[in-house]
Amino acid sequence: IEWNSNKHQDKIITGTVRDANSNTPLAGATIKVLGKASVTSTNESGAFEIGATVNDVLEVSYVGYLKTEITVTTTTSNLNINLTEDISNLEEIVVTGYSTQLKKDLTGSVAVVNVTQLKSTPAASAVESLQGRATGVQVVTDGAPGSTPQIKIRGFSTINNNEPLYIIDGVPFEGKLSWLNQNDVESMQVLKDASAASIYGARANNGVVIITTKTGKIGKPQINFDSYYGVQVPKTNSFPKMMTPQQVLDLDNMLNGTSETLPEYLLAGGISGNNITSSDADMSKYNYDGKDRASFYQITKANQAGTKWFDELSQNAPTQSYQISATGGSENATYAMSGGYLGQKGSLIHTGFEKFNIRTNSQFKGFDGKLRIGENLQYSYTEGFGMGVNPNVAGDYQGEGSVLGFAYRIQNIIPVYDEGGHFAGSYGGWGNGENPVAIAYRAKDDKNRSNFFFGNAFAEYDLIPELMLRSNFGMRYENYNGINLTYPNPEFSEGSFNNGMSEYQGYFTEWTWTNTLTYKPYLGDQHSLSILAGTEAIKSRGRDLSGNRNGYFTLSSLDYFYLNAGTSNIGNASSGSVGSMFSIFGKADYSFMDRYLLSVTVRRDGSSNFGSANLYGTFPGVSGAWRISQEEFMQDVSWLTDLKIRAGYGITGNQRIPGYQYLNRFASSLTSSSYPIGGTTESGIWQSSYANEDVKWEQVKSLNLGFDFTILEGDIDGSFDWYDKTTDDMLYRLPLPAIAVGRAESPYVNIGSMNNKGVEFSLAYHYGHRQGNPFTLDLAANISKNNNKIVSLAPSVDQQIFGAFRSMETSILKVGQPYASFFGYKTVGIYQDANDVANNPSYPGARPGGLKYADINDDEVIDAADRTIIGNPHPDFVYSFNINTSYKDFDLMMYLYGSQGNDLYEATRYFTDFGVFKGQKSTRLLDAWSPTNTGSATPSITNEAAAEEYASSSYYIQDGSFMKLKNIQLGYNIPAQKIFGNNSSFTKLRVYMGVTNVFALTKYEGLDPEISATSSDYPALGVDFGIYPQARQYMLGLSLGF
Amino acid sequence: CGKEFLQKLPQGQLSEPQVASKDGVEAELLGAYGILNGNISGSWGNYAAAPSQWLFGEVASDNAHKGSEQTDQPNMNMIENYTSNSANDNLSTMWQVYYEGVLRANSTLKLLKADQEGAKQITSARATEIQGEARMLRAHYYFYLWRIFKNIPFIDENTTLDEAKVKPNNEDIVPKIIDDLKFAIDNLPTTKINGQSGRMDKNIAKAYLGKVYLYQKKWGEALPLFTDVLGGKDITTMPFENNFDVTKEDGAERLMVSKHAINSNGDADNANVGDMLSGLYGSSPVGCCGFYQPTIDLVNAYKVDNNGLPLLDNSYRTNEYKSDLGLAGAAKTNYKLDTTLAFDPRLDYTVGRRGVMYLDYGVMPGDAWIRDATYAGPFVGMKTMIPQSQFAAHAVPGQNYVTDLDVSIIRLADVVLMAAECNIELNNLPTALNLINSIRNRAAKLAPKKTRYGNNAAKYSVKPYTSFPNQDYARKALRFERRLELAMEGHRFFDLVRWGIAKQALESYSSFEGSLLPAYKDLVFNSNNEYWPIPQSEIDRSNNTLEQN
Repeated sequence: IEWNSNKHQDKIITGTVRDANSNTPLAGATIKVLGKASVTSTNESGAFEIGATVNDVLEVSYVGYLKTEITVTTTTSNLNINLTEDISNLEEIVVTGYSTQLKKDLTGSVAVVNVTQLKSTPAASAVESLQGRATGVQVVTDGAPGSTPQIKIRGFSTINNNEPLYIIDGVPFEGKLSWLNQNDVESMQVLKDASAASIYGARANNGVVIITTKTGKIGKPQINFDSYYGVQVPKTNSFPKMMTPQQVLDLDNMLNGTSETLPEYLLAGGISGNNITSSDADMSKYNYDGKDRASFYQITKANQAGTKWFDELSQNAPTQSYQISATGGSENATYAMSGGYLGQKGSLIHTGFEKFNIRTNSQFKGFDGKLRIGENLQYSYTEGFGMGVNPNVAGDYQGEGSVLGFAYRIQNIIPVYDEGGHFAGSYGGWGNGENPVAIAYRAKDDKNRSNFFFGNAFAEYDLIPELMLRSNFGMRYENYNGINLTYPNPEFSEGSFNNGMSEYQGYFTEWTWTNTLTYKPYLGDQHSLSILAGTEAIKSRGRDLSGNRNGYFTLSSLDYFYLNAGTSNIGNASSGSVGSMFSIFGKADYSFMDRYLLSVTVRRDGSSNFGSANLYGTFPGVSGAWRISQEEFMQDVSWLTDLKIRAGYGITGNQRIPGYQYLNRFASSLTSSSYPIGGTTESGIWQSSYANEDVKWEQVKSLNLGFDFTILEGDIDGSFDWYDKTTDDMLYRLPLPAIAVGRAESPYVNIGSMNNKGVEFSLAYHYGHRQGNPFTLDLAANISKNNNKIVSLAPSVDQQIFGAFRSMETSILKVGQPYASFFGYKTVGIYQDANDVANNPSYPGARPGGLKYADINDDEVIDAADRTIIGNPHPDFVYSFNINTSYKDFDLMMYLYGSQGNDLYEATRYFTDFGVFKGQKSTRLLDAWSPTNTGSATPSITNEAAAEEYASSSYYIQDGSFMKLKNIQLGYNIPAQKIFGNNSSFTKLRVYMGVTNVFALTKYEGLDPEISATSSDYPALGVDFGIYPQARQYMLGLSLGF
Repeated sequence: CGKEFLQKLPQGQLSEPQVASKDGVEAELLGAYGILNGNISGSWGNYAAAPSQWLFGEVASDNAHKGSEQTDQPNMNMIENYTSNSANDNLSTMWQVYYEGVLRANSTLKLLKADQEGAKQITSARATEIQGEARMLRAHYYFYLWRIFKNIPFIDENTTLDEAKVKPNNEDIVPKIIDDLKFAIDNLPTTKINGQSGRMDKNIAKAYLGKVYLYQKKWGEALPLFTDVLGGKDITTMPFENNFDVTKEDGAERLMVSKHAINSNGDADNANVGDMLSGLYGSSPVGCCGFYQPTIDLVNAYKVDNNGLPLLDNSYRTNEYKSDLGLAGAAKTNYKLDTTLAFDPRLDYTVGRRGVMYLDYGVMPGDAWIRDATYAGPFVGMKTMIPQSQFAAHAVPGQNYVTDLDVSIIRLADVVLMAAECNIELNNLPTALNLINSIRNRAAKLAPKKTRYGNNAAKYSVKPYTSFPNQDYARKALRFERRLELAMEGHRFFDLVRWGIAKQALESYSSFEGSLLPAYKDLVFNSNNEYWPIPQSEIDRSNNTLEQN
C-alpha cells in the first residue's frame, strides 16, 4: 500500500549533470531512482527529467566517472549534479563474454587496456600497440609496414596454433587484424585466464581479446578529424658490420697462399675479374637484354670500397594517416561513423601498405526502449607489397633466399648496378648471392589486395525488465587477390632468363549467429545475480584459385600481364576449406553485499574438426572474489580504497588443427602420385593422410590467483596475478615410422602436455586528477614472467628437433624444456693446437682454430649425441613503463618496453662468420682466432672445416635482451574556444609530435632484437634469418573536433 | 542444429569408400610406379632417393665427388667420406621415400584383394598382372633399401598399421624380394601391358632376379635368367649414347627405367629431380648446381694401352692426367688440351673436360663451369645432362638442371656384363670374353669428340680382348669394364662391396685422389661402411624396435 502511495507522490524532477572539473555538461549520463523502475538519461545539454519524490536516492552514472548518489531534498528546484572523473576505473564497464561487468566485479583475470594510451603509438594494426599495455600479453612485432604482430597471452599454451581469439563487437574472429582501424576501437580487454575465457570454450586456450568499436553518444554530432604524418628513418648504425672487399681478399690470399689483387672489373661477358682486358670491357659489346647466356653481355666494375647492402636497401619512408569520424544521436537513435586512409611506406625499399576503411555503428530503440536494434559494419581495403608485407604472414618472409637473407650473403665487392645501369650480380664466379636490391625492385609490383567486410546486426528485447533476449548475427567476408611476377635475373650466378606471372584470387566467409537470454532478477540490495544462457552457430567456407604462366612476350608493361598472354608453363590450382561449430553456453554471476563475488560458466562446443567419437567438448569455469575492503573490519583502513582477492579455475579448449584427422584420406595428385606411363603423365592415387579416429580437443586447465588494489582514493592502483596452466591432450603430430606411413602425414594425437606458470604485476600512480591540479602525472609499470615447459610429447618420444636450415636444425621440442628451445652443440672454446684436438673430445676433422664442443655424454667423442639445449628463446620477463603527464594544455607521453633474458639464434652467422659460400663476411672475423690471437671465441676461417663446425651450436646463440624507448609524444591542446571564441564550433584542436622507436638498448648484433617466429614444423622462435628492422619514426599529428 | 551441421567432408581429398573400385586399384598402382623417381612432390631435397643412386652408388665410390663447394650439403660429404652418422638427412630421405614405395605397392595389393573378394570389378587376368606389377615394384623398393641399410623391416599387404609401427628389422628380407620377383616373372607378360612404355614386364623381373642372385653369388641361378633376357640380342647395334639421349628414350637397350616428365604446368615433381644437383654450374648454359663431379681417378681409368685395352693394374695413375688443375695465372689461361693421350672414347661421353666439345654447349671451358675445382676437381659429369637445344622441350623453364631425362635402373649392357660375370665365376671364359667384347666393340663405334678446332680431342682407342688367359684376369677385365661402361650410373659402390674389394679399392683410390685433391686423402673404409646406419629418427619412431646397424 505504501509503495503505491509513494508512486502517487512522484513529481517531475529536473536537473543537469556536469563534469566536476570543467563544468561541461555530460550528455548520456544515466539517472536511476534507487528501488524504483524509473531510469532516464541526460540530453545533449546534460539536462534530465525524472519522476521521484523527496528522500528518493538518485544514482547518477556515466562512463569514466564515479557513480554518485544524491538524495532528493526538494522537488521544485533544478538539481545540479557534478560528476568526478573516475581515476580508479573501478566503475569502468568491462566487456567480458557475451555480457558486461563493472571492473570492480571482475573475478577472472582480465587486462583492461587504456585505449587512449594505445592510440598514442601509431600502428597499422590495432593489436600491435597492445605491446606493453596489457600485462601478460607478449607482442612480437617487426618493422614491415602493415605487418601482423605475433601475440601470445601468458606464454605458449600449445605447440600448435597460439594466436588468441578476438571477439569484435561480439563476433568471434580468428586471423590477422590489419583491417581494423585503430581509431575505431572504443575498448579492448584481454581475458587471460580460463575462468574468464572459458565462456569461449574450444577456441579460448590462447586467451581472448575483446574489442568493442565506438558507438554513438547522445548529443549533437561530434565530428573529429585526426591525422598524422611521419617519416621513418632507418637506424643505419645498427646494421651489421661487414669486412671490406680488401679485407676479405687478404683473408682469401692468406688461406690459399695466393697474392691476388682486387680486380677493377668483376665481369665482362663471360670473363671474370683480373682476366678482363679493356677490349672485353668495351661498352659496345654490352647487351643486357640477351635472351640466353650466349647473347647476354654484362660489364660490371668492382666496388672496391664495398657495397653497403643494408644501406642500399633502406630508405626514409613516409607514413600518413587521415581519419574522420562523427558520432551523435538522440535518446532513441545513436550513430557513429568513420572513414579513413592509412599509407605506410616501408623503411626497406619497395615495400608498403595502404588501408582504406569505413565503418558505421548505429543503434535504435523502440517500444519505450525495450527493443534495441543496431549494427556495426566495417569495410576495409588493404593493399600491401614487398617483403614482410606480401604475403602478410609475420616472420615468414625470413630466409636465406629473401631480400634480407641475400643482404647478408652477397659479396660487397659486387656493386648494385653494372656499367650499363642494370643490376649487377654474382654471375661470373662471384659466389651465389643474389642482388637483394634487384629482388626487391623486381617484386615492387607484386601486390596483395584484400577487400574485407566484417560486421554484425543485433536485436535485443526486454521480455520483462529482468529478462533480455539478444540475437546477434555476424558476418565476415574477405576477398583477396594478387599477382606475383618473375623477371629474368641473368646477373645472378644461379639466375635464369625465365619470366612469368602467377595470379591468385580467393575468399573466406564465416557467419556467426549468437542468441542469448540474460536474466537479472532484483533480489534486494544485498544480492546481485545475473544469469546468461545462449547458443552459437558458426559456419565458414573458403576457396582460392590461382594460375600461372611463363613466357610473356614483353615484360615492360604491367598492362600486358594477364594469364592469357603467357605462352608456357600453364598451371592452375585451387583449394578450399569448410568448417562449422555449434555451441551452447551459460554463465551466472552472483555477488553478495558487493563483497563476495562468484562467477560460474560452462560451454559445450561441437566442432566439425572432430569425428563422431569426440564431436563435443565441455569447458567449465568458476571464479570468485572477495572484496576485503568492503568488510566492516576494513572500514577504518582509510588509505585502502579497494582490495579484492580473486581465484579462478577453468578449462578451455583448442580445436585449431587441420581438419579431418579422424579420417584416412587419399589424394589423386599430379604432383605426388603420378607417373609418366606410356609417354603421358597419368594421375594415380596415394594415401596422403592417416587417421586417428580418437582425435579430440586440446584442453587447458588453468588456476589463477590474484588481487587488485586501489590505494589513496585512486592515487595508486595495481594488480597481481599468479597462474598455473596445464595443457592436456595436447595435439601432437606424433611422427610414425616410415614403415607404417611412408611419407604421408601422420595424424595428430592427443598425447602431449605443456605447462605455463607465471606471475604478473602492474602498478600505477596517478597524480593531479583527483585534486583538480593543472599538473597531472600518471606512471604505470607492468612486468610479467612466464615459465613455459613441455611436460610430455608422447610416451615414446621425448624430443623432436625442428627448424631445419641447411645443415642446421635450430630448435627442439624436448620434455622438461621450454617450447622451441635452441638445440645444438655447446661451444666450450676454440681448439688451440693439435695437442688440444688430440687430448680432448673431438669430431672428425677437428682442427686448431675450429670450434670446440662440450662432450655432453662423456664418451670422449663429439657426435650427434652431444647436442643439447643451448638457449631459451623465452624471456625471463617482459616489462613496460608508461609515463603520461600533462600541464594545463600540454601533455607528454613516454613508453618503454623491454624483454629480459631471452636468447636469440643469429642464424645469419652461418653465412657471415664461416667459410660457407663466397659472400659477405662479418667484421667479427677480423678478431678471429689465430695462433697469435688465442683468446678469441670466433673460429678462424678455413677451407677445410669439418661439417660439425657448421652445425647448430651455441656460437649462434646471443643474448636477445633489450629495452626500447618505443614512443615519446608531446601534445598541445590548443584552447579552441579561447582562440576562435565561445561561438566557434571547434571543440578540440590538438597538435602533437612524437618519435617512435627512439632507441634500443641491446647487446644483440643483428638488425633488430625483436624477432618474429618463423614457420617450420612448429614455429621456430627467436631464430634470426634477417628480420625487417623497426625504423625510427618522427611524426606530427593534428586532431580537430567540431 | 543437428549433427549434420557439424559433419563435413574433406576438401579436395578422397575418403576410403571413394577409392575402393577398379579405377582405384589401377590408380594406386600408378601411385606405386610414381615412387620410381625417388620423389613424392616438389623438386628440391630428395637427392639421396634418386633412381640413379648417384650419392650412395657413385659419390661413395671412387668414381665421383659430391662436387660443388665443401660447405654445400655437408651431410653428403659424410656419405662420401664414410663418416655418416645416423642423423644424416640423406639416410632418412632414402628410407622414407622407398618405404613409401613399399606402402603404395602394398596398398594396391590390399585394394585389389578387397575387389577380388568382393565386387570383382577387375578381371582375374588383369588382377594377376596387377599383382605382378605391384610385387615387382615392391621388390625393387626393398632391394634399394636393402643395399643401403641391409637390416630392414619387412611389411606386406597383410601387415596392419599397428604391426608396422613396431616391426623389427631382424630377418633377412632377400628371400622375400626373391618371392616377389619370382611371382612377377610368372605373371607378367613379356610385352608391355597396354603397350605402355614404363610398365614392368617379365624381362625386367628376370633381369632383376638375376641381379639379386648375383649379389648373393648364385651364379648358376642368375645366368639362365640373364641369358633369357639377352635372348640373342646384339648390343653392338644399339648406340651407347642413346642411353643418355632425351630424344631417344624407350629404345632397345632400356630394360627397367624410371620414366620422367615435366608436368604440363612446367613443374618438376615427376621429372629427374634426383639428379638435378648435377647440373653444370657457372657460365654453362645450365647454371646450377655443380654437384656430382667425376673423380680424377675415373678419368684416368679410361686410359688405354697400345692395344686399346685398359690398364688393369692401376698403372693408369702414373703420369696422371688432371686437366688444368693446379695451374694458375697465365699457365691456366693458356692451358692447351693434350690431344695425343690415348683414351677409351666412352670417357668423353661420360665426363666433361676442358677443351673438349660438350654436347651442344660448345667447348668445356674448365673452371668457369665448376664451383670450386680446387675442392672437387676439374671435371664435370655428362650422362645426366641434356643438350641445350632440348631445354625448351625437356627442362623445367628457368631450371635447366631439372630435366625429364629417363634414368635406367637396369639397361642391357648391365645385363651383358652381369652375364659375363656369371660366366667368369662359372669359369666359362670364352663366353665371357664374347660378352665383354660386345660391349667394347660397341664402344669402338662412338664418334670421336672434337676440340674447338675440329680435331679429335684424344687418340681414341678401344679394342676387344683377344683372350682371357685365366679366371683372375677375366675377373679383373670384367670389373674394369663394368666401371668404364656404367660409370656415373649408380653401380660402382655396390659392385665394390659385393666383390668384397671395397676397402682395398677405396683406400687405394684415396691415396691417389687425395694427393691431388686434399679433401679426399686419408679416407678410411671399414666393413661397417659397406652399408649405412638406420636413420635415428626411424629408430625413435619405432619406439626402439628397430635395431641400429
